[in-house]
Amino acid sequence: MAQPAENDIDSDSLRRAAIDRSVKGPVLFLFTNAAFWLMASTIVGLFAAVKQVFPDFLDENWLWFLQYGRIQPAHLIALVYGWGIPVGLGTSLWIMARRTGQELKTGRSLMLVAAIFWNIAVTAGILAVLFGGSTSVEWLEFPKFLWPVLLICFLVFAWPMVSMFARARHPEGFMISAWYILGACIWFPWLFTTANVCIHCIGDLGAIGAGINAWYVNGVILLFFVPVGVGSAYYFIPKVTGQPIASQQLAKIGFWLLAALGGWSGMQRFMGGPLPAWMPAFGAMAGVLLLIPVGVVGWNHHLTTLGKHKLVQTSPSLRFSFFGALFYPVSGLIYALLSAFWTGANLQFTLAWYGFQVVSLYGFFSMCMFGAIYYIVPRLVGCEWLSVRLIRNHFWFSVYGIGAIVVTSIICGLQQGGDINDPEKWNLSFSNVVLNIRPYIVARAVAWGLITWSNVWFLIHLMLMVAGLGRRSTAPTLLPSHDHDDGLPSISHPSKA
Amino acid sequence: MSDFRKFVLRIGILFGLPWFFLIVGPVMKYQKLAPIAYDKDKDGVDGQYPPSVIHRQGQLVYAREGCVQCHSQMIRSANLGLDGWRKGWGQEQEGRTAEPVRSNTLRDYLGEPFAFLGIQRTGPDLANVGWRITDRAKMHQSFYAPRSVNQWSTMPSYRQLYTVQKAQGQKSKLALDLPEEFHPGKGWEVVPTAEAEALVDYMISLKKDYPVPGMAAAMAAAAQPKK
Repeated sequence: MAQPAENDIDSDSLRRAAIDRSVKGPVLFLFTNAAFWLMASTIVGLFAAVKQVFPDFLDENWLWFLQYGRIQPAHLIALVYGWGIPVGLGTSLWIMARRTGQELKTGRSLMLVAAIFWNIAVTAGILAVLFGGSTSVEWLEFPKFLWPVLLICFLVFAWPMVSMFARARHPEGFMISAWYILGACIWFPWLFTTANVCIHCIGDLGAIGAGINAWYVNGVILLFFVPVGVGSAYYFIPKVTGQPIASQQLAKIGFWLLAALGGWSGMQRFMGGPLPAWMPAFGAMAGVLLLIPVGVVGWNHHLTTLGKHKLVQTSPSLRFSFFGALFYPVSGLIYALLSAFWTGANLQFTLAWYGFQVVSLYGFFSMCMFGAIYYIVPRLVGCEWLSVRLIRNHFWFSVYGIGAIVVTSIICGLQQGGDINDPEKWNLSFSNVVLNIRPYIVARAVAWGLITWSNVWFLIHLMLMVAGLGRRSTAPTLLPSHDHDDGLPSISHPSKA
Repeated sequence: MSDFRKFVLRIGILFGLPWFFLIVGPVMKYQKLAPIAYDKDKDGVDGQYPPSVIHRQGQLVYAREGCVQCHSQMIRSANLGLDGWRKGWGQEQEGRTAEPVRSNTLRDYLGEPFAFLGIQRTGPDLANVGWRITDRAKMHQSFYAPRSVNQWSTMPSYRQLYTVQKAQGQKSKLALDLPEEFHPGKGWEVVPTAEAEALVDYMISLKKDYPVPGMAAAMAAAAQPKK
């Protein structure tokens, strides 16, 4: 990977500045809106967790739209379509433009329009889910007519990225992050169109429809969130550490194995169910085999950061990207546990599935995206992050919150699945099974509370930056490696490009 | 061929394969799936399998209320889970049966626009819930005030599906018989709306354990000692 030397020639910095200027509008718009949705989603997630234990909480007669069956899907689609996909698109656009060395020539205003319509569609979809328009198809709960809007808006962003990649005649260095992003630009519309056409247009597919739904949800995680998160980690980790990617060979293997296995996975969600047995079996096989690309990528990131762990302490973007990259193997392992029939039979239909969604969407993907945002935004707005303390709070509250959700959800899944599958408990009343998992859900509520706290400050911090109220300085905001020099950014840092 | 085209082609092939075999093929095949007729001699029943379809209006209410977030509708086969042995998840409500409830097949969901197989089980499985409901009024009561039926239930109260109206003249035949603390008060009564009735109809229509044609004969043949 080409690493800018400190005595970069002027023309190079000018070219970078021109690229940044060309994507500034759409990227900042997406980031700010996404951060708002993220906060909304975590607040709703907190309520959903509370309601799962105390259904009478906030249960006035006129608040019927806040029932668990409505706010739980609202929480997840706000996380996926409100936060995940827009922030992924914003980061991808910036990385793609920088990586291929091309300015965004046309389509900027169209992108803004698309971003506005995307947000309108997500708002309408979530309101519809709350007020009785839900289709109850996991992650596709929006009313039927909204999916073409979302698809077109996505393509408005994806198309320029694909053409940037196609036009990059002299790629400088190795383009692995651009590969991942290009893959995501192709896979998501394919998955989204297939799932919506099958479930909403062809219809009447019964259990096959449920299988396609599971395939879609897993596909969006494995073939949109994973590639964007990994692509961003592959960009920022070498960038900030100043080391090239440890092994190009491993990077290629990781990418092509993901591309080959991602599409087979998903239907193991319904193992032992009505689907023809080979379909969940293939899904389970792919889910376990995915350990190879996941491990390869994790190992590669580990080798790249080796010896640079001090920078993980000081650079906010590296710190978030590093932990995101660390959560990737963790989520891969949990996925394998959920997929294999051996362990999956116990974890099926338990809260472990929710734990996997959170670890992959938040622990891995969102942490990578936070790292990207902490790097990209100062370069777009021309000022530096205001407060070290806010960044540090954001980091620690997120890490502890996510860690708590993941650990409790997995243990909760073992407990819940164990109760359902224990022959001794064949006549145990189901409300006992539910009572046994209550402590874990309470822990989840506390964890969402912590995360909400961190996100409120993240949103405020980001909005101040976008408003141009950041620190006027040429030195980036770094986290001190010792606690006593709090708030004093060190000046010598090689990563400013 | 340029590198870019080669790259896109590779991605297309690698993703196109699972897309075709896992999605397109099964979808096309499923469209041809039709009910099968029972063989009176072998299966002991008449008619066709599956015998009836679910109550669609009620399923819409089920979708709208997000019931699928907590309830599954799928009995797993005995090699994977204990679903078939759990008390009350089949026809038998009291004791333990000799055979587990059968796991579901593709045809059990024939005619459903989308099968709500489930996300989590924070409530019991509903694949065969129709057998569990003996009393419509009791079902309505547990929708309106779940904690009046089971003190520890964590199900939300679906009060929006019921109308609280002034009790005038003769008491409505449909009015729910609620315990004191859940009752809206003297002079008032709670009656189900059409949507609540549809939801109960849907619950009652969920009986996905009809005999599979040929299965009884096959089981009997397998159980016979070899000569």
